[in-house]
Amino acid sequence: MVMLLFIRTPRKEVFPCHYLICDIFTYLLFIFFTAHQILSLTGISFERKSIIGFVELTIVPLKDNLRYVRLNSKQCRIYRVCLNDQYEANFQYCDPFLDICQADPNTRSLEMFSQCHLSAAQRIDPDHNSGELHIQVPEEAAHLVGEGRGLRIGIEFSLESPQGGMHFVVPEGEGTLVEKSAHMFTYGKSARLWFPCVDSFAEPCTWKLEFTVDESLTAVSCGELLDVVYTPDHRRKTFHYVVNTPACAPNIALAIGPFETYVDPHMNEVTHYCLPNLMQILKNTVRYVHEAFEFYEETLSTRYPYPCYKQVFVDETEDDSTAYTTMSILSTHLLHSIAIIDQTYVSRKAMAQAVAEQFFGCFITMQNWSDLWLAKGIPDYLCGLYSKKCFGNNEYRYWIHQELQEVVGYEEQYGGMVLDPWQPPASGARVDPKDMFYFPVRNVHTMSPRYIEVMRKKSHLVLRMLEQRIGQELLLQVFNKQLSLATNAANTKIGSGLWGHLLLSTNLFVKAIFTVTGKDMAVFVDQWVRTSGHAKFQLTSVFNRKRNTVELEIRQDCVHERGIRKYVGPLLVQLQELDGTFKHTLQIENTVVKADITCHSKSRRNKKKKIPLCTGEEVDMDLSAMDDSPVLWIRLDPEMSLLRGTVISQPDYQWQYQLRHERDVTAQSEAIDALHNYPEPATRKALTDTIENEQAFYKIRCRAAHCLTKVANAMISSWAGPPAMLTIFRKMFGSFAAPHIIKQNNFDNLQHYFLQKTIPVAMAGLRNIHGICPPEVVRFLLDLFKYNDNSKNHFSDNYYKASLVDALAATITPVISVLQPGAPITADSLSADTKLVLEEITRVLNLEKVLPCYKNTITVSCLRAIRRLQQCGHLPSIPTIFRAYAQYGMYIDVRLAAFECLVDFVRVDGKPEDLASLLTAVESDQDPGVRHGLARLLINNPPFERAQRHRLDTESVVHRLWNNINSHLANDARLRCDLVDLYYTLYGLKRPICVPLPEIQAMMKQMHNKERERLERERELQKEKERQKELESQPVIKQEIEDVKYEPEIGPLEELPPVPLIPDLKDDNLPVPVSSIKEEEIKIDVTSVQDMPIRVYSDDSKREFISDNAAPLPGIPGTSGPIGFEPGMFRHDKELDLSGPKAKKKKKEKKKHKHKHKHKHSSKDKSFKDKDRSLPPRPASSTDHLKIKEETRETLSSFSSSQSPSEDMSTMQSNMSF
Amino acid sequence: MSEAAEKVESASDARRRILNIAVSTVLLETGFDSADKVALETLTEILQCFFTEVGNAAKGYCELSGRVEPVLGDVIMSFVNMGISIQGLEQYAARPNRHVIQPPQQAPAPRTPAMLSAGSKAKPAPHIPFHLPPLPDPHAYIRTPTHKQPVTEYEAIREKAASQKRDIEKALTKFLAKTSETHNLFNTDDNQVYPLIACKPTFPAYLTCLLPTDQVFDFDELEYHFQVANRTEDMPPDKKDNSDNEGDNGNDDTANSQTDTQDSQAPPSPKT
Repeated sequence: MVMLLFIRTPRKEVFPCHYLICDIFTYLLFIFFTAHQILSLTGISFERKSIIGFVELTIVPLKDNLRYVRLNSKQCRIYRVCLNDQYEANFQYCDPFLDICQADPNTRSLEMFSQCHLSAAQRIDPDHNSGELHIQVPEEAAHLVGEGRGLRIGIEFSLESPQGGMHFVVPEGEGTLVEKSAHMFTYGKSARLWFPCVDSFAEPCTWKLEFTVDESLTAVSCGELLDVVYTPDHRRKTFHYVVNTPACAPNIALAIGPFETYVDPHMNEVTHYCLPNLMQILKNTVRYVHEAFEFYEETLSTRYPYPCYKQVFVDETEDDSTAYTTMSILSTHLLHSIAIIDQTYVSRKAMAQAVAEQFFGCFITMQNWSDLWLAKGIPDYLCGLYSKKCFGNNEYRYWIHQELQEVVGYEEQYGGMVLDPWQPPASGARVDPKDMFYFPVRNVHTMSPRYIEVMRKKSHLVLRMLEQRIGQELLLQVFNKQLSLATNAANTKIGSGLWGHLLLSTNLFVKAIFTVTGKDMAVFVDQWVRTSGHAKFQLTSVFNRKRNTVELEIRQDCVHERGIRKYVGPLLVQLQELDGTFKHTLQIENTVVKADITCHSKSRRNKKKKIPLCTGEEVDMDLSAMDDSPVLWIRLDPEMSLLRGTVISQPDYQWQYQLRHERDVTAQSEAIDALHNYPEPATRKALTDTIENEQAFYKIRCRAAHCLTKVANAMISSWAGPPAMLTIFRKMFGSFAAPHIIKQNNFDNLQHYFLQKTIPVAMAGLRNIHGICPPEVVRFLLDLFKYNDNSKNHFSDNYYKASLVDALAATITPVISVLQPGAPITADSLSADTKLVLEEITRVLNLEKVLPCYKNTITVSCLRAIRRLQQCGHLPSIPTIFRAYAQYGMYIDVRLAAFECLVDFVRVDGKPEDLASLLTAVESDQDPGVRHGLARLLINNPPFERAQRHRLDTESVVHRLWNNINSHLANDARLRCDLVDLYYTLYGLKRPICVPLPEIQAMMKQMHNKERERLERERELQKEKERQKELESQPVIKQEIEDVKYEPEIGPLEELPPVPLIPDLKDDNLPVPVSSIKEEEIKIDVTSVQDMPIRVYSDDSKREFISDNAAPLPGIPGTSGPIGFEPGMFRHDKELDLSGPKAKKKKKEKKKHKHKHKHKHSSKDKSFKDKDRSLPPRPASSTDHLKIKEETRETLSSFSSSQSPSEDMSTMQSNMSF
Repeated sequence: MSEAAEKVESASDARRRILNIAVSTVLLETGFDSADKVALETLTEILQCFFTEVGNAAKGYCELSGRVEPVLGDVIMSFVNMGISIQGLEQYAARPNRHVIQPPQQAPAPRTPAMLSAGSKAKPAPHIPFHLPPLPDPHAYIRTPTHKQPVTEYEAIREKAASQKRDIEKALTKFLAKTSETHNLFNTDDNQVYPLIACKPTFPAYLTCLLPTDQVFDFDELEYHFQVANRTEDMPPDKKDNSDNEGDNGNDDTANSQTDTQDSQAPPSPKT
């Protein structure tokens, strides 16, 4: 089908040329380099979302006979290519991403796709000296080319409605563009999406940037603003920027809008831009940006490499922040007023990160994709140092610990990551098949966004490990050396050949470390950068009383599991004994290492003496829980100097000591994790004490609260006294005179603030013996709502209120219904507690409409709570409300929360249409952040399990996803990779089960259907003739039928931009489809009709593929099951196509017939129904009449029952019986 | 006040009635059988004016001679002054067929209400001379509460504030839910019990959410609070630990002694 389309597209001319080029032109690395580039955008139109521009690259050929130049350019329309303003050059355009699996169009397996994906990415990889745009140096211009002589290539281009790389935010509604704060910006790191260039991080050059915009707008771009010149008519002005420090194309960005400008009061070089009306919160948000600058300059002992820095806060970004040369584009959602607490941490870190990336990532870039880990890891590492200073050491260690666990978790699920896959380690070890990813890891355009995220964390951890190996000071000196080399190089002209210092690669980095420190880190790099995976240790210990030793056993049993590899080298074990902390370094050589460690202290628990800790403090401990071992607790690798997972077995009391007395947050956090498994009074006491301990880190206290919930639930039968944490909460937050009434809010103590937010949620997780939340806890929570008083507070309580709603949601347990099963749920049938909860939720949600809080946090929580009520059967599972909140124009957080609920709804009760509408949103929502976010939601909570023959697991979904990753998302690499992730989650590496191989299908079909098919076709033909006559006598009806019928043929063509289509087809393609159910029904009709041609062949055969007499499960609607291709089906399709309306009619008729046939076997598809409904009743004509009657009956009954999914199911069963 | 006016009116009425009777009697003596009401009233008015004039003049003479109450002489003087002869008056008064007007019925004097005595009168203190009047009722000089004492109990106040706030919010949301479009959580048609106000997309959506209106803050004051009033940088280090900044000063742990130096640099402001 896809092929069919392409044949008719203009791309047809493009494809063959690709192979041609490959044949005659072998890859030559670096046949030229770029010295300077001019980018001039003149016609920037917000109405049409288009730009018209001109670029001029000055390239320096490295050889005399340069005949071709390849540049990167996507989605741009190129009008003219000119060499040195004189000679017009021929050019060809070929983007393999437009059809990635062109060679094998029928494959549906990710294995195949992965290969094609990588080769497509490499075919246009500028590092391989290739690109989409192939410019031929004409014969007459050959004399211009000479080694070392500059050649100017001018390209005129335009870009309309960009699908990626550049985003126009044009809000709907009244008013001028300025009033509506319309703006645009570029996003991602793919400059080729908006102008032709050499889109490589390894090609730095100087820039001249010119943007002509409306007089009321501001254009912010990289480099220094030289001048703003008005056009002669004074209605537009041109911003001239110049980048003198060499920068590579992906680091060039642009933002245009009616920005308000704020020059940083501490640093004049720094300018902040925000959208109108946000100036006040902008000032507050950027208050500490100068500190980040000062910190980095001081730490690296280097001056900031650029003359200026700009922060632009824009709406609808994909990421919180993206750094470009001298500027960062940040999300406007980072802005917050001084009264907001939680957002502050996020915003500060995001901005600090962006500043760090100015040094590494923008100024010093990577040589190749394989060096991505340095470009990502170094700024992360620097930002980590800054946040350690800014937020404290505990926060920093806790963060590192979290990252380590996340990396370990990801690797164990998906496979070990190799940070630098370019060069195998010296040992020559190859990547284990168990560590192979389902996407190519050698190019950033093919990597899963989640992988990039985790890789960034791993890089950070590896750099931190490096810091531990060579010392922080020396590592910073290495950075400093790189920066000073680069600064020197940046001040020279390109001819000096020093610009290579602006690039950093793994090898260069290792060399630099050696030069500065004299230490050879090659082994380290081999071990952690070029080898995949992490280590995993299991530690058990036995105390030998006679010899006063601890017999440790460290095993690495899991080395053959995914993501885990054997570690050889030193490992630090830290023992806390009665006499102090003792560190022992063990050499790990085998998978099993045994060591006897002599204890320093005799067992002497009766003596009262303070116990020294690793910090030098001496503390009193209650040692009554110990047996005669002098060991209080054991830790493995306490400084996280390895990438490792640990499983430490020690008795419960040791964990409790560790939680109470170990001063390291990571140890405390590990102890809490372990204590989940020991529900007993001593654990309860230890956790309670931790929550109450004012000296403890607040995040540990919060985690202890959650752990206590689990512990309390596990020991519910023996639990005495009030519900866990109630007393603590009252003691801390209850008012003096009446402890059951909470104090007026005062969040000045931020530790208490976080506890006040956490404890109610933790308490809401408590369950009594009946498995429900204790009534007193519910009352307690409702009282918190009632008595919440923020009037005297310095801070906003929106996050606190949201967490109270979360807590209410967490109290909800599955309904114990007294109703008849199947009876509709009404407001009266709710239980008393549920009524109270629902009333509270309704009240705060309604109140939010009048008095919206910061970021609508309460609405977000309310939506989740409503979904929770639906999940537990208290409310009917209706998606309408979520659809309303998910529409464009709601706040982004609210939209994503609503989508989260919708995704969950689809998984539980969704119909194929619901899934289709979600996919439509993924494909075409206006906000790139929502597209990406929704795709991630679908991956995390997939609509159906792999190979379970779920009702949603249909062939059309396979094709839809496939078409997206294969061709439709050519311009949005990130979303494409998101959908690859989704495809993998849903179907795995192999061909989806619901799409059988065409060979098998055909075989089965031949065996079973051949005869029947033939008969049917004959009959259909006859009927068709009859009907044709009828229809001709009824022109109106005919029109209607044709409308419906044409869609399947034209539908898939929609992605071809220039073809004007029938209006309601366009509707289908428009974003924001989730506005109302009525609309959706129409829309769904159209989408499913698109797939008709495929189904024609599949309905029968797919059933047979499953098994000869497989009957679909009763009650599952729309089990259309697996379908696939048949040899020659495209040809057949085409024939039909060519033979005009008559043939089409025939096909449709045939489908109808099968449809009927299908009903007998209980499978049913709503889309057909809907379409049938649109057909007018026909005059009686023999058997035809009978059939129509049957269908109508069913249509009516199912129509009336389509209100709720459960009802739908019940009617379905009754239908099935006829 | 209206009562007093009534009384005055009735008193003058009584006087006027007597004058009326007097005039009528004289007319009868003179031989009139009847008189027009208007004529009678006019005559009464003349008589009243005459009496008033005589009275005034008599009062003047009396005050002129330093007295408080007029005596007969004053009246005579006023007659003289008015040029009215008083000769024959005695005879006239003693004429045989004169009518004697019944003196008007003495209206029962309104009883003055008994003094409201509150509490027992305090005995005069020994230093007060005995000739002074006794002390008035205690309420006359003791402060007595004039209104109900407000509840100062913390619990009740919080309770009341909470329920007031809740009532206001409920009323407001209920009103809005009734007057605007709603979402229904149930499959039923009526949406009375838990109506949810329908959400409306706004453009740009971020504006209301980044500039919330649920609470009103005085940002300048907050700025002052965080930047000046709560400054921790200038505090002596020992006090710093007590300041409420976020949890990082909780346990300066870590076996890593080199990082401890980092820790002592507290965050730039409590509002991290």
